[in-house]
Amino acid sequence: MLNLRYFVIFLSLLVGLILMILPLPDPVQIYRPNWVALILIYWNMALPRRVGPWIAFFIGIVVDTSQGTLLGQHALALVIIIYINQIFHQRIRVMSLVQQAIYVFGLLVISQVIIVWVEGIMGRPPPLLAFFSAPFIGMLIWPWVFVLLRDIRRKANIS
Amino acid sequence: MNQLHYREQGTSIRTLFLVGLCIALMFVDQRFNHLEVVRSNISLVLSPIRYLVSLPAITGSWANEWLSSHIELLNENSALKAKGRILNARLQKMQVLKAENTRLRNMLGSSRKLADQVIVAELLSVDQNPYRQLIEINKGTFDGVELGLAVIDDFGVMGQVIHVNQYTATTILISDPEHAIPVQFIRSGTRSVAFGNGSVDQLELRYLPATADIKVNDQLVTSGLGGRFPADYPVATVISITKDLTHGFVSVLAKPLARLDSSREVLVVKSNNGLAAE
Repeated sequence: MLNLRYFVIFLSLLVGLILMILPLPDPVQIYRPNWVALILIYWNMALPRRVGPWIAFFIGIVVDTSQGTLLGQHALALVIIIYINQIFHQRIRVMSLVQQAIYVFGLLVISQVIIVWVEGIMGRPPPLLAFFSAPFIGMLIWPWVFVLLRDIRRKANIS
Repeated sequence: MNQLHYREQGTSIRTLFLVGLCIALMFVDQRFNHLEVVRSNISLVLSPIRYLVSLPAITGSWANEWLSSHIELLNENSALKAKGRILNARLQKMQVLKAENTRLRNMLGSSRKLADQVIVAELLSVDQNPYRQLIEINKGTFDGVELGLAVIDDFGVMGQVIHVNQYTATTILISDPEHAIPVQFIRSGTRSVAFGNGSVDQLELRYLPATADIKVNDQLVTSGLGGRFPADYPVATVISITKDLTHGFVSVLAKPLARLDSSREVLVVKSNNGLAAE
């Protein structure tokens, strides 16, 4: 059972990673939600003991490699939002989907701010529209991610 | 059940440690090259995913070829034959010119090689970071691609290889805000450096003296200085010249000749015409 549990979590993160790499036409690209962050937030909320900062860190490093950013940039953003999530996860679990989505928007904005800060320190001007559009789309997608992953988790009987 | 009331004491400390680790990693990654091994190994693991992701595009073009009609193929064939004939005719002239050039260079005592060895590669994916302009190509160290080699398409210079693993390589485009390429104006011979500014159809040449002999539509080629890019490959055409009267400089915008956003086949240029000291 233990192997299946980790396999399902790993598979969902892999799908998130593929969605992050998938080529999109240029104008749509800035609207791409941070799939990996959404999926990590879900697993951390559901199973905080299994999916915590360490997994966020390693996934972040993989995202950094796949996106050609500094090693540690996405990792830093993910570690920090997973930490915040770990503090609040009990309260968030009992919220309605809409309230959750707003909370997730906050987390995604924080991660975006961290990524843009690092870009700024590196001397690359960040496009302003990209700043809120991706977290906003992420917020709209959250309920679907949540319901889908919850069903998968229940079917696979992971706890 | 204990999942419901889970709060571990070590989480804060662990997070603090990881945040420190991330910052250290970013610092080391920006300043030094030590993490190149880590990067190339992770991207090696990721390369099947990259192939998987580029699969729809590949199948699309394959299906397109398979389904295109007989007449279309015939037309294309005859067009290609015509083009081949024209190129052959030009080539004959080229060979004479090449021989002459070699002779003249020998007379001058210069040992610059004319023919560069190239590796043909295909675009795998475009990196999805809106702040960077990076592409992945499907050739790696197994095929002879090395760090720092120039990448061109049929129209001009595209960029250079910045990360490489066994099967794939990451290329930074000349339009990336972090990239700069040494160039020379064909007409006047003025040397300069062209910076990327993040948009695919613009390069910036900063701090040229106001007296420099530059006109719109001037051609820019690589100067070969610095040893990274082989000399004399076309880079860009000047599209606008802005005089900054207060500082006595002009800033020039140029349009890259390479199709940075649409080329699927690229060439990795192998030899660095004897200038390279790497």
